Amino acid sequence: MAKDLDVNESGPPAARDYKDPPPAPFFDMEELRKWPLYRAVIAEFVATLLFLYVSILTVIGYKAQTDATAGGVDCGGVGILGIAWAFGGMIFVLVYCTAGISGGHINPAVTVGLFLARKVSLVRTVLYIVAQCLGAICGCGFVKAFQSSYYTRYGGGANELADGYNKGTGLGAEIIGTFVLVYTVFSATDPKRNARDSHVPVLAPLPIGFAVFMVHLATIPITGTGINPARSFGAAVIYNNEKAWDDQWIFWVGPMIGAAAAAFYHQFILRAAAIKALGSFGSFGSFRSFA
Amino acid sequence: MEGKEEDVRVGANKFPERQPIGTSAQSDKDYKEPPPAPLFEPGELASWSFWRAGIAEFIATFLFLYITVLTVMGVKRSPNMCASVGIQGIAWAFGGMIFALVYCTAGISGGHINPAVTFGLFLARKLSLTRAVYYIVMQCLGAICGAGVVKGFQPKQYQALGGGANTIAHGYTKGSGLGAEIIGTFVLVYTVFSATDAKRNARDSHVPILAPLPIGFAVFLVHLATIPITGTGINPARSLGAAIIFNKDNAWDDHWVFWVGPFIGAALAALYHVIVIRAIPFKSRS
Repeated sequence: MAKDLDVNESGPPAARDYKDPPPAPFFDMEELRKWPLYRAVIAEFVATLLFLYVSILTVIGYKAQTDATAGGVDCGGVGILGIAWAFGGMIFVLVYCTAGISGGHINPAVTVGLFLARKVSLVRTVLYIVAQCLGAICGCGFVKAFQSSYYTRYGGGANELADGYNKGTGLGAEIIGTFVLVYTVFSATDPKRNARDSHVPVLAPLPIGFAVFMVHLATIPITGTGINPARSFGAAVIYNNEKAWDDQWIFWVGPMIGAAAAAFYHQFILRAAAIKALGSFGSFGSFRSFA
Repeated sequence: MEGKEEDVRVGANKFPERQPIGTSAQSDKDYKEPPPAPLFEPGELASWSFWRAGIAEFIATFLFLYITVLTVMGVKRSPNMCASVGIQGIAWAFGGMIFALVYCTAGISGGHINPAVTFGLFLARKLSLTRAVYYIVMQCLGAICGAGVVKGFQPKQYQALGGGANTIAHGYTKGSGLGAEIIGTFVLVYTVFSATDAKRNARDSHVPILAPLPIGFAVFLVHLATIPITGTGINPARSLGAAIIFNKDNAWDDHWVFWVGPFIGAALAALYHVIVIRAIPFKSRS
């Protein structure tokens, strides 16, 4: 991509061809009285349910088919690559389906990141996170209901720190992994990009799905890859094993820190939100050159 | 001409042919070729967008190395190939990550994430020398930090399993490795040029999501082909980051291959696209 030549350098800044939406209010009591909010919450619930159902079922199926003690073979099943595809591909499909309804978060970390960037209200944030966690529990519940003995025997798809890694490593992996995901979400939903690139909404979910896929490739050996507190929580609740709960804090603290870092990076470094606010007073002339 | 006008009306041909094909190049273009970037652009250093672009390249290359080298470590560490994402998973990690990161940083810095891409675009006069040097430095620093984080996760295993460093595999000569890097980088940079071509953008109703996708796929496909030979560099920053953090003789012995090869490949791609495909020098002369 060629550098964006700034033809307005010498004159006053031209009118922008995009419009940043105003910050979402913390408490928007008006939206509580409207159906779109509840529809969005239901959409997040259903999306997270389907996400957990497909991905955890893939995990259990893979482990069953590679269990040598039960007639499985080392190279049986869809492989770890298939598991990564299940997570990433499902996010792609579901974000595409729910982008226009709820914004297609399907992940408390994404919701928190967008909340910190003032793109969703506090009320909506809380409702989304509750719906996502409930959806995750129900999704795993379906998987367990279909194959209770397999589910329990093969770890319930719960996120746990693998042998040989310490909690600091797991936390670091979750932080950076969630940063990749939330940063991609911010890029895909950037209003500046939407206005200039003739944004085609059908294609925005693709890099988000790929980001999830990529992070799973890298960190499945470490933590089974959480980067989604609802996913980790749902599996832990249904599996209800001590080790899953011991490590559960990693899968909330890590993603929340990663989401906050991504929000900060995108809003203050890439979009230079603070500098723009100062620039409007004219005291930083050289910074007015950015469009 | 009557038949041609009819074709235009029914949509068979998007543009009316003012002159029959083959007689001469059309003079009124429907696209605008951006002017060559100056070697040194005054005022560039005073613009936040310049510094922000470098930061974006740093973060992107950091994340690229973190995800890809961590994936390589996961594969190396597993008891057998089927207990991990496998070599194909490694190729996906490299290609998919380039896709996601080019998508994220395309509007900020052009989404190079690779000194060879920066070099190729510089040769094609798409960016200034100052910016090219700045990008390459930031990419190398990001790569070092990314590999460093992976080592921080498991220092002993990182060293024991080769650190994801690029080396020429047993049974291949340095010439083979060099050739693989040259052609591999040619594929990548040529795809970058095609994806960002001004003429194509104007005529194909360019959809931005579709530019990073072929670039990511080019990286994925080259990795499928050359992982057995060199572990696939085609990105000097990636090779440098892993080599510095791994810091063993065998990584440094072959390291020159992963700078010379990609830079030659990028130069060839730039020449091919600018002179052969687009014939820009000849147009500007007329």
